[in-house]
Amino acid sequence: MRAHRIIIVIVAAFAVAVPILGSSYQIYLVELILINIVAAIGLNLLTGNCGQISLCHASLMAIGAYTTALLTTRFAITYALALPAGVFVTTLLGASLGYPARRLSGLYLALVTLGFLEVVSIAIEEFSDLTGGVRGLKLEKPELAGFPLHTAGLYYFVLAVAIIAIRAGLGLRHSRYGRAFDAVRQSVIVAQALAIPPGRTKLLAFSIAAAFAGLAGGLFTAVVGFIDPTEFDISASLRQITFIAVGGLGSVWGSVIGSVILTLLPEALRGADEYSDVLYGAILLAALVLAPTGIVGLFAPVFRRLGGGKAQLS
Amino acid sequence: MSLLAVNDVSVSFGGVVAVNGVTMRIEANEIRGLIGPNGAGKSSLINAITGMIRPDSGTIVFADRPIAALPPDLISARGIGRTFQHVELFRDETVLDNVLTGLYSHHVYGVVAAMIGAGRARRVEKETRREAAELLEAFDLTTLAAAPVRDLPFGIQKRVDLARALAVRPQMLLLDEPISGMSEAEADAAVATIRALAAERAITLLVVEHNMRVMMRLATRITVMHHGAILAEGTPDDVHSNPLVVDAYLGNADDNA
Repeated sequence: MRAHRIIIVIVAAFAVAVPILGSSYQIYLVELILINIVAAIGLNLLTGNCGQISLCHASLMAIGAYTTALLTTRFAITYALALPAGVFVTTLLGASLGYPARRLSGLYLALVTLGFLEVVSIAIEEFSDLTGGVRGLKLEKPELAGFPLHTAGLYYFVLAVAIIAIRAGLGLRHSRYGRAFDAVRQSVIVAQALAIPPGRTKLLAFSIAAAFAGLAGGLFTAVVGFIDPTEFDISASLRQITFIAVGGLGSVWGSVIGSVILTLLPEALRGADEYSDVLYGAILLAALVLAPTGIVGLFAPVFRRLGGGKAQLS
Repeated sequence: MSLLAVNDVSVSFGGVVAVNGVTMRIEANEIRGLIGPNGAGKSSLINAITGMIRPDSGTIVFADRPIAALPPDLISARGIGRTFQHVELFRDETVLDNVLTGLYSHHVYGVVAAMIGAGRARRVEKETRREAAELLEAFDLTTLAAAPVRDLPFGIQKRVDLARALAVRPQMLLLDEPISGMSEAEADAAVATIRALAAERAITLLVVEHNMRVMMRLATRITVMHHGAILAEGTPDDVHSNPLVVDAYLGNADDNA
C-alpha cells in the first residue's frame, strides 16, 4: 500500500470515529470543517480555476441556508427535499448573477459581487416576517424521511455529503470543464482559439460555485440550528477566500486542507486570548508569503514522493 | 467553391486603416503564404478571419457560410484553427494538459456526468486521452507529456502549440510566424513537419512568415500585402520575380531574409 493511501485510511478512520470519541463540541467543529470544505471547493473552482473573483460566496451560502430553513420550518417540507431545493434555488440565483457578471473581471467583478452581497443581506433584513431579519431564524432538528437526525446521524450525513462534494469537485477539476475553466483564467483569447466559449464557461463556473455554496448553506442550517445575517457577511466571504488561498488556488485538496487548518486555527489560538486575532492574521500572512501557491503547492514534492512519482494533487 | 473567401474586407483602428478592401480566395488543401513588410496588415487580416476583430466592412465566407459576425470560439468550432506569433501556451500546465484542453469541443459529456464520474464521462475522457496521446506521438512529445511547458525550449514549445491547435481538428489552420526564432536547421525540420501535416490531415494552411527563403519552399501560392492592401498574388516564383514586390521589400530591407 502506498503512503498516500495510508494517509487516506487514517483520515477516514478519524472521520468515522469522531462521533464515538469526540465531545459534542468537537463533533460540531468537525461538522463546521466539512461545511467549509463544501463551500470552499465551489469557490475554488470559480476563483482558483476560472479566475473569477467573488466576494459574495457567503451570500450564496445564505440563500441555501435560508431556503432550506424556510422550507422545513414554514412549509414543513422534509429536510431530504429542502436541502436539494436550497441547492437548486441557490444555483439559479448564482446563474442569474453569473449571466451579467460573465463579461466582467477583476475589480469590476469584485464590485458587482460586493453589490450582490449587500442586496442579499438587505433582503434578509427587510423581509423579516419571513426570514426573522436581524433576530435570526431558529430551526428544529432536521429529519430525513421521517427519522430525526440526532448528533451522530447528522454528523455522518454531513460527512457523506462532504465526501460526495469532494468527489464532484475532483470530477469537475479533471474534466473538460475543469480544463476550460483553467483555459479561460489564463487567456480568454487562447480559450476562444481552442473553441472554448468564455462566456458560457464563466456562467457555468458561477452556477457550480453557487450550487456548492447552497449545499454548504443547507448543511449549516441543520448543524447550527440557528441562522442570522451576520453569519453570511463580507467577513465570511473573505474568510472563504483565505481558505482557498492558503490551501492552494485551483486545487480541490487545497480547498480541503485550507478549510481544515483555518477552521481549527482560531480554536488552537484560543489560549492567546486578546492576541488571538492578531496571531490569526500573522499566521495567515506568513502562510501566503511563504507558500504563495498554497499549502498544497508547498508540499507538492513531498506528496509526489509519497504517491510514487505520479501524484495528482489537485 | 473556395474554402475561404475574403470579400472586400476593411479593418481600421481609430481612423488608421489596417486592412483596406482585401479580397482573397483560398482553395481547399492549398498552402497559402501571406507575406509583407511590418505593418502591412497581415496580423489584422488574420485577426479578422479568426473573429478577434470585427471587420468594418466586407464579408468572410468559410465552407460556404458567412463567419465575419461570429465570435472567435464559434469560428474555431467551425474549423478555422490558429497558432499565435508569440507561442501562447498554458505555461504552468503540462504538455499533455495543453493538448487535452484543445480537445474540449470534440469529446463532449455533461457537467453532472463529470461530477458523479458517470460511465459516459469516463468513457469519453478515455477517448480524449487516447486522441491526445496520438497527437503527442505525432509531434514526438510523448516522453515530455508530464513536463510543464515553461521548462521546455522554445522549439519544443512551438511543437506543443501546433499539437494543441490540431487538437481542435481544424479544416484550415492559420500559422502566425511558425518558424520565427528558430535556427536554420530547426526551420527546415519545421517546414517538413508542416508540409507533412497538411498532406496527411488534409488541412488547408494560411501561413504568415517573414522568412522569404522558407516561404518559397513551403507555400503553393503566396499573397503579398502592403499598406493594408494586396500587392500581388501568385506562385512563389511569380511573386519572387514581381518588381512591385521587390520594390516593397527593398523599402523595408530588414524584413527580407
